[in-house]
Amino acid sequence: MKRLHLVTWLAAAVFVAACGSTGGGSSNTSSYAGKTIKLGAILSITGAGGVYGPQSRDGANLAVKQINSSGGVNGAQIALTINDDASDKAQSAQVAQKLIQEEQDLALLGPTLSNSAVAVHPLAETLKTPILAVSTTGINIVPNCNAPSTVPCKYVFRDSLGEETAIPDNIKSYAADSHPSTGVLLVAQDDKFSSDGGTIVQNTVGQYNIQLLKTIKFNKAEADLSPYVTQAVQLKPDVIFITSLGGIPAKIMTEARKQGWTGQFLGGNGFNTATVSKQAADAGKGARSASAWYLGNNFASNADFVTAYRAEYNKDPDQFAAQGYAAIKILADAAKRANLTFSDLAGDRDKQRAAMESVNIQTPLGPFQFTSAHDVKQTVWVIAMDGVGGFTLVHQINPS
Amino acid sequence: MDQQILNAIFIGSIYALFAVGYTLVFGVLDILNLAHSAVFMLGAAITYSLVVNRGQSFWIACILGIAASAVMGLVIEHVCLRPLRRRKAPPIAALISTIGLALIIVAAVEQGQPGTFFSWLWVDGANSVAFPAGTIPNPTWHVGDLTLEASKVAIIPISIILMLVLGYVIRYTQVGRGLRAVAENPRAARLMGLDVDRMISLTLVISSALGGLAGILFGVALGDISPYIGRDNVEVRGLAVIVLGGMGSIPGAVVGGYLLGMIEVLALVVLGSNARGGVAFAALFLMLVLRPQGLFGAQLRERI
Repeated sequence: MKRLHLVTWLAAAVFVAACGSTGGGSSNTSSYAGKTIKLGAILSITGAGGVYGPQSRDGANLAVKQINSSGGVNGAQIALTINDDASDKAQSAQVAQKLIQEEQDLALLGPTLSNSAVAVHPLAETLKTPILAVSTTGINIVPNCNAPSTVPCKYVFRDSLGEETAIPDNIKSYAADSHPSTGVLLVAQDDKFSSDGGTIVQNTVGQYNIQLLKTIKFNKAEADLSPYVTQAVQLKPDVIFITSLGGIPAKIMTEARKQGWTGQFLGGNGFNTATVSKQAADAGKGARSASAWYLGNNFASNADFVTAYRAEYNKDPDQFAAQGYAAIKILADAAKRANLTFSDLAGDRDKQRAAMESVNIQTPLGPFQFTSAHDVKQTVWVIAMDGVGGFTLVHQINPS
Repeated sequence: MDQQILNAIFIGSIYALFAVGYTLVFGVLDILNLAHSAVFMLGAAITYSLVVNRGQSFWIACILGIAASAVMGLVIEHVCLRPLRRRKAPPIAALISTIGLALIIVAAVEQGQPGTFFSWLWVDGANSVAFPAGTIPNPTWHVGDLTLEASKVAIIPISIILMLVLGYVIRYTQVGRGLRAVAENPRAARLMGLDVDRMISLTLVISSALGGLAGILFGVALGDISPYIGRDNVEVRGLAVIVLGGMGSIPGAVVGGYLLGMIEVLALVVLGSNARGGVAFAALFLMLVLRPQGLFGAQLRERI
């Protein structure tokens, strides 16, 4: 692992040294006919985030296809490239650099994981390229992408529901339903997403009179989680909080049920994909999380999306697909109003950024706008795994 | 605590089985075969692919998985070790070439696109997979506070029997005497008419078959198969085990495996989960300082 990191960092360093900056003249045009809007998505198609990235990709590709086949953006076609970062932070930053400087993309999507976003977003900010996070839900994604600096990042946006909203909403609704009194938190200490989620759980449980008996930390690459689960189960908590992602939640659930524990699992965004629900199967039945999106919502912008997605891929979309789809719609809407020149890349990127701030469209997530902090403000859906790879709706929480 | 001791024994058995293969090669060749962890992964990956993609029964897949691992042993010998040995390259060169092969094997499995043999990897983006329920009968029993899962319980006798058989072969058979002769002094062995290259190939075949089997047991018991299970879970721990037990000593690898399993779990229970990895390597360090030859290591000579 260390070897690999060293090599990738070295390669990144060489790459940074070799790259120059971009720029150009200026001209003015209102119709984009014959032009191409280049967008780049940095997604985790393989590695730990491979549970989520492919769904974002499919959602984004569907939106591109729909827009291009219905006349494009003021006549311009969207060219979206999907770039795998293998869930690796260093590789993610390398890919971003390439898309910004070599490929000269107008705007970027991603990366899939918060852990990678801490490398990619500051880079996009420095190179003044708009980037829209489609699945990163950790702390300090927007607006302070350069945390601990509190200077808001101008070029970083997100359309994914932050864990700072989702996890407390989830705990609050379960506490109101079942009044649990004790909990144990299982957290992957070497993963930003998981440890951020863990911090939020720790900061939230007290408000609802849940005593956190223990926080059990492990490393995300560890395959043998049974000793940790044993430790949690032996404390006989009412709730086990799991803030990890990828295959980990399903493994913890399966192991805990095998060891005879019958309490409630509460989690974060890591639960919100059909893959995790399917992996957990019966062991996951009833496990609750708060989601940015729900399959069964029947307002038009979601119903149309679900129908089109099913027709295209022959399967149901999930939250990540919806957010990927929404992201392209958002970028296209901004590009349409940005009065792009297609000759002055730096100027176009700035216009695109400014136009994104005033996006107001219908998406599968509901009516979509950014807050002044470039974050999403939307309804939260509390869902539970149904034991067979899907979810059921438990509560709807409107934005306060 | 009782459940934790069981957890330690389960994982310790896998560490031991893995480390026996590791230490066998070291005992004979004085070389650390760092591709061993990739073979461990390959055993599990091939078995899983045969079961899920090719609809084979688990037992046939298992035999093919072990056979493929054994063949990989030959590849390691013919690609990474023998050409360097011919050129009298220093052991570090062989170490590097096995690292290279390990990276290639992992990368090859990572390339599992839809339609290919390893396509299971990215089905639904599930990068870590488990054998589908029902592939292997896996009843779970509850005895008092203890949870006993058949797939985990089975690991213990399988590991112990295999290690006893290996011990017997090495100590009491013609082949074993040949291996020991090569370990002792390859040149003398050759002068005595032994086919040293054949003995080394055999060592790698046995070692890799054990590594592949350890990988399969790991995949079955822990429900975690990915291109990275070798690298992340046993590569460095296997080294720790053979240092604890004594480099090149088979009984040492067995005891070391269980010992590391125990140390890790005890560290978790007594010192908290943060300490698990660290304490294991603190034990390793202590062993290196206090008893560099390990628990069972003879001062020199008399290996395997």
